[in-house]
Amino acid sequence: MLKLAWKYMRYYRSQTLAILVSIFLTASLLSGISSLIYSSQRNDLANHKNIYGDWHYYVETDRELYESVQSGEKGGGYLLERCGKMEIRDVAMEEFLICFIHTDETYRQMAHRDLLEGDLPVKDNEIAADGFVLSNLGFSGNLGDPLRIGDKDYTVTGILRSEWAASTSEMEVFVSDSFAGRGSQTFLYLGFDEDVKLYRQLDSFLQEHGLSSADVVNNEEVTQYLGGEEPAGIYETVRFGLTEEEGNFTYIVLKLQSDYNLAYHGMILLLCLFSIFVVYSVFNISVAKRTSEYGILQTLGVSEGQLCGTLLLELWILFITGYPLGCFLGNGILSLVYRKFSGVFGGRSTVGAAGNGLPAADQTLAEGTGTIRFDLSWDAMIFGFLFLLTALAAAVFLVIRSLKAQSLKKVMSGDTSFTKRRKIYALRPVNMAGVVVRKFMFANKRKVIGILLSLSIGGCIFLCTTYMVENLKIHAELSLKSDDGLGSEYRISLKSNSLNDTIPKAAADKIKNMPETERVYAAKYTLGEVTQIEELEWDSYFDDQNTEDYFAERYGGICLPQADGTYKIKYDVYGYDDELLGQLDEFVLEGTADPETLRAENKIIAVALMDGQGNYYFYGKKPGDTIRVRVPQKDNYTDELLKFQSGSENYIEKEFEIAAIVSRPLAREQGFLQEGSYRDALMTGLIMTNEQMEENFGIIDYSFINASPAEAMDANEVSNRILQVIRDIPKAVLQDYTAAIETQKNYLRQQQIFFSSIAVILLVISLLHIANSMNHTILTRRREYGIIRAMGITDIGFYKMVLQTGILYGVLADVLICLVYNHILRRIMDYYMAHVLQFLHVQTEVPNRILLGIMALNVVIAAAAVMFPARKLMKETIISEIT
Amino acid sequence: MSILELQNVEKIYGEKANRVNALRDINLLVEEGEFAAIVGTSGSGKSTLLNLIGGLDSPTKGKIFVKNREIGSLSRKELTIFRRRNIGFVFQNYSLMPVLNVYDNVALPVTFDRGRHINRKYIEELLQELGIWDKRRKYPSELSGGQQQRVAIARALVNKPHVLLCDEPTGNLDSATTIEVMGLLKASCRKYGQTILMVTHNEAIAQTCDRVIHIEDGRIVTGKRIYPVKGGDGAC
Repeated sequence: MLKLAWKYMRYYRSQTLAILVSIFLTASLLSGISSLIYSSQRNDLANHKNIYGDWHYYVETDRELYESVQSGEKGGGYLLERCGKMEIRDVAMEEFLICFIHTDETYRQMAHRDLLEGDLPVKDNEIAADGFVLSNLGFSGNLGDPLRIGDKDYTVTGILRSEWAASTSEMEVFVSDSFAGRGSQTFLYLGFDEDVKLYRQLDSFLQEHGLSSADVVNNEEVTQYLGGEEPAGIYETVRFGLTEEEGNFTYIVLKLQSDYNLAYHGMILLLCLFSIFVVYSVFNISVAKRTSEYGILQTLGVSEGQLCGTLLLELWILFITGYPLGCFLGNGILSLVYRKFSGVFGGRSTVGAAGNGLPAADQTLAEGTGTIRFDLSWDAMIFGFLFLLTALAAAVFLVIRSLKAQSLKKVMSGDTSFTKRRKIYALRPVNMAGVVVRKFMFANKRKVIGILLSLSIGGCIFLCTTYMVENLKIHAELSLKSDDGLGSEYRISLKSNSLNDTIPKAAADKIKNMPETERVYAAKYTLGEVTQIEELEWDSYFDDQNTEDYFAERYGGICLPQADGTYKIKYDVYGYDDELLGQLDEFVLEGTADPETLRAENKIIAVALMDGQGNYYFYGKKPGDTIRVRVPQKDNYTDELLKFQSGSENYIEKEFEIAAIVSRPLAREQGFLQEGSYRDALMTGLIMTNEQMEENFGIIDYSFINASPAEAMDANEVSNRILQVIRDIPKAVLQDYTAAIETQKNYLRQQQIFFSSIAVILLVISLLHIANSMNHTILTRRREYGIIRAMGITDIGFYKMVLQTGILYGVLADVLICLVYNHILRRIMDYYMAHVLQFLHVQTEVPNRILLGIMALNVVIAAAAVMFPARKLMKETIISEIT
Repeated sequence: MSILELQNVEKIYGEKANRVNALRDINLLVEEGEFAAIVGTSGSGKSTLLNLIGGLDSPTKGKIFVKNREIGSLSRKELTIFRRRNIGFVFQNYSLMPVLNVYDNVALPVTFDRGRHINRKYIEELLQELGIWDKRRKYPSELSGGQQQRVAIARALVNKPHVLLCDEPTGNLDSATTIEVMGLLKASCRKYGQTILMVTHNEAIAQTCDRVIHIEDGRIVTGKRIYPVKGGDGAC
C-alpha cells in the first residue's frame, strides 16, 4: 500500500503538490491566527495586569494572618506564588482623600508602584508618592522638599510609578514602617499559580485560613483570563439561553465567551473547518482524476480497505510533511509582523470599550508601555493536527464510499446525472457554443453549487472583514469621543464630588480664547433625579447599583420605587454648548438634537439605557413625551442633598419634553455617579444646552472642559498655559491625553491593516482553491472540448467559449456573494456587532470601490482560472483529447 | 479527378529509444466519390493515416492535398475552417456531446461558422434518412450504439463535406447494426456525392467498399487485391 501510495504521489505530481500546498497554507493560517489570538489574549492579560495590578484577589485580614501568610505558601489545593501586604496606617481629608499606606516590596511589584526616583521613606515623617498625587498636592518637584498634608509637614523622599486608575479620588501616600498612624487596616494581595484554575485555589486558601468569600475582592479584569470564577456548564448555558425568557442567542455567546473563551476556541474550530474544506475539496478533485483507475484496481481485486489505506497513507504522508512546515511558516511570519502590529493585540480598548472601567486613552497608555510578546498556541496546533488528521481519515472514508456507489461502467460512460430537458436549441438562431457552455456548467447542480460556494467564500470573508473594519473604525472614533470627551487631548476637571466645586465661567472663557487651544468644549453638570417613571420594563436593570454601598450611602440608592408605583431615578444632568450638541447627531437613536429647538422650546435629550446585549431603552418613552427632573438648589447646598430626601424647598423640579434619545452622552463627568470603579455602571444622563442649565437651574459655572491644542502648537506649551489658568481653581486638575490619543489612532490604523491583511490571505487561499476547482472543471470536460475542436471550432472560438464559462461563473458567484452577504452575513454581522461587540451605531457600508473591486476580481479570477487549463488543452492534440 | 493525394507521408512518434515510425513513405491518390476502406492490423497505422488526412495531426514528412490544397501549408485557423467545411468525421466511440440532444448534436458544427444559416430542412432530411428523426429530443445516453453512430454520421454530414473520414464506425456495433450503418454510409456517399475513407480491421466489411487499402507496419501494402471503383462513374 505504501508503495502504491508513493507511486501515485509521484505520478500525479501537480495534484500532490496542490494538496501539499493547501495543507501547508491552511496550517500556516490555522497556527498563525491561533497564535495571534492567543498572544493577543496573553498581552491583554499583561496589559490588564499593568492597569489593574498583577494580583488576583485581595482580602482584609487580622494582623496575625497578615503576618503569617508568606509568598510561596503551598496548601491543600493552592499555591500562593506571591502575597503582597498593604496596611493603611492613616487617612487625611484634604481636597482629596489621602491614604497613608505601608507596603512590602511584593505589593509594590504587584501594583506596579515601582520607585522611579529617590528612595523609599525610612523615617516617620518621610513619604513617597507618584507624580500625579504629588503634583495635585502642590509638590515643588524637588526630592527632599517638604510637603504639607493636613496639618503636618512631610519630606518627600521618592517618586513612584503612577497607578493606572489614577482618576479615583483616593490618593495613596507611601510611608515607612516607623510611621505611626491613627489606625491599621491590613490587606493581603494574593497571586496564585496561574496554571491552575484560580477559583479552586482561592476556595482552598479561604478554607485553610477560615476566611469568608464575602471578604474577598476579585481583580476581575485580570482573573477573567485565568478562571477566576467557576464557569457554568455549556449545556446549562445553552439551555438557559434557549428556554428562559431572559436568555437569548447573545446571552449564550457572551456567557460562553466569558466562561470558555469562545473567541479563541471558536476561531480555532472555524479555522479547522475552513482548512478541512479546502484540503478536502483539493483532495476530492485529485481523486476524481483517478476514479477510473481506482475502478480498475477494484476490478483487479484490490479491496476497498486496501484502497482506503492507500489513499489514507498518501494523505497522511502529505499532511505530516505539510502541517509542521505550515505551522513553522505561519508562526514565523506572524511573529515577525506581530510587533509591528502591537496595537492590534490589546484590542479591547476600542472593541470592548463599553464595558471597561477606564477611559480608552488610559488603556492605550498602559499598552504603550508593555513589551509585546508573541506566544505560540500549542493547544491550537495540537488540536488542529489531531482534528485534521481525523477529518482527513473521514474524508478518505467518504471518497471510498462515493467510489463504491459508482460502477466502472458508469465512470467510463461519463456524466449522465444532469437534467435532460427536451428543448431543441438549434430550432432558433442561437449560439450553440454558449448552449454547450451553459449545459456543461449546469449539468450537475451539486458541482455548480460547490464551485460557486468556493468562488464566493473568499469574497464573502473579505467583505465581512471590510464591513467589520469600517464599523470598527467608526465605533472606535465614537467610542473615543464618548469615553474621554470627544477625543480631546486635554481635560480639565475637578477632583471633587461636590456640586459646590466648579470651574468659573471666566476661567473657561480664558481657555476658550487662548490662541494655543481650539475645539474647547465647556460642560456644566449637576446631579438630578428623574421622577414619576411609570414603566420599568427592565426591572432588574438597577438591582446591582441599588445594592452598591457607595450609591446607597452617598445617593440614597439609584432607582427608588415609590408608594404610587412610580420610580425615582438618579441622573447625570449635563449642559453642553452648541458645537458639542451638534456632535451628538452621530449618537441619536430617535428624534433630533438641535440646540436651537432645545433652547426655544426648553426640550431635553435623554441618554438611553443599554443592556449587556446592546439593546437600548428609555422607559418606553419617545421624543415628544415628557419627564420630570429634580436637581438640588445651589443655595444652602450640602452633599446630603444628593440623596434627594430633603425638603422640596431644596430642589428645583421641572418638566421637560424629550427632543431626542441618544445612545451615549459625549463629554462626561468622571465623579459622582461615574466615580472610579463605578464608571459606566450607570449610563443615565440628560442633556440640555448650557443656557438651559442656567435658566432652569441657575448653574453658571462649568464642571469640566475638553480642549484640543491649536494646529502646530507644542503640547508642553499648551498644557503649561492651561495649568497657569487653572492653578488658582481649587481641586482643578489637568489630564493630558495627547500621547494616548496618538497611540490610539496608530493602533486603530494597525488594526485596520492587520484585519484587512488576514482577509486578503483568506482570499488568496480561496483563490488558489478556485483555480484548482476551475482547472478540474475544465479538464474533466477535455473529451467534450476535444470533440468540439474536432468538429471545427477555431482556437479563438474555443477560448471565447471557455472564457464565457469563466465569466458566467464569476458573475454568478458575484450574485451569490451579493445575496449571501446582504441577506445573511450582514445581518449576522450587524447582530454580532450591535449585541455582542456592542458597537455604537452599526451603519457604515463597505465602500463601493471595494464591493465593485471584489466583484470584478471574482470575474477576473474565474476567467483567468479557466483560461489556464484552456491553454493547456489547446497545446494538446485533438486526438489525445478525444481518445 | 482526385480529391485526396498523399505524397511521401511519414509520421514518427517519440524520440531516440522511444521512436516509433507510425507511417512511412505513404503515397496515395483517392478519386472523388470513392468509398475506400483502410484495412490493417491493430497498430499498423491506419487510424494515424486517417487523422493526418483529417488534419487532426500533422505529418513528420511529406505532403497531403485535399481538394488540391496542401493542408500542411494552412495556418491553424485556416486548417480548422477548411476541415469544418470539407471534412466530416465519424469515430468508433461516436464522440457525441453528452449534454446535447440528438438534434443539437447534429446542428452543432454548423453554428461554428458565424452567421451561417442552419438548414433545418436538411437536418430533418438527414435524420429522417438515418431513421432517428423521432429520437431528435433524446440524449446520447438514451440511445443504442447503432442509433448513436447514426447521430454521429448525421453530424458528420451536416456541413455537406466533400470527404467523410470514418474511424472504425462499426467497431462497437453488432453485426446487424453494422450492416445497417454500412448501408447508410453508402447511401449517403451516393446521394451527396461524397468521398469516404473508412478505417476498419474487418476484412469482410472492407470487401463491400469500392477499394481496400492495406496497411502493415505503417506502409501501404501493394500485393493485396485491390477492388476497382464500382460502376465506373465514381458512385458507390
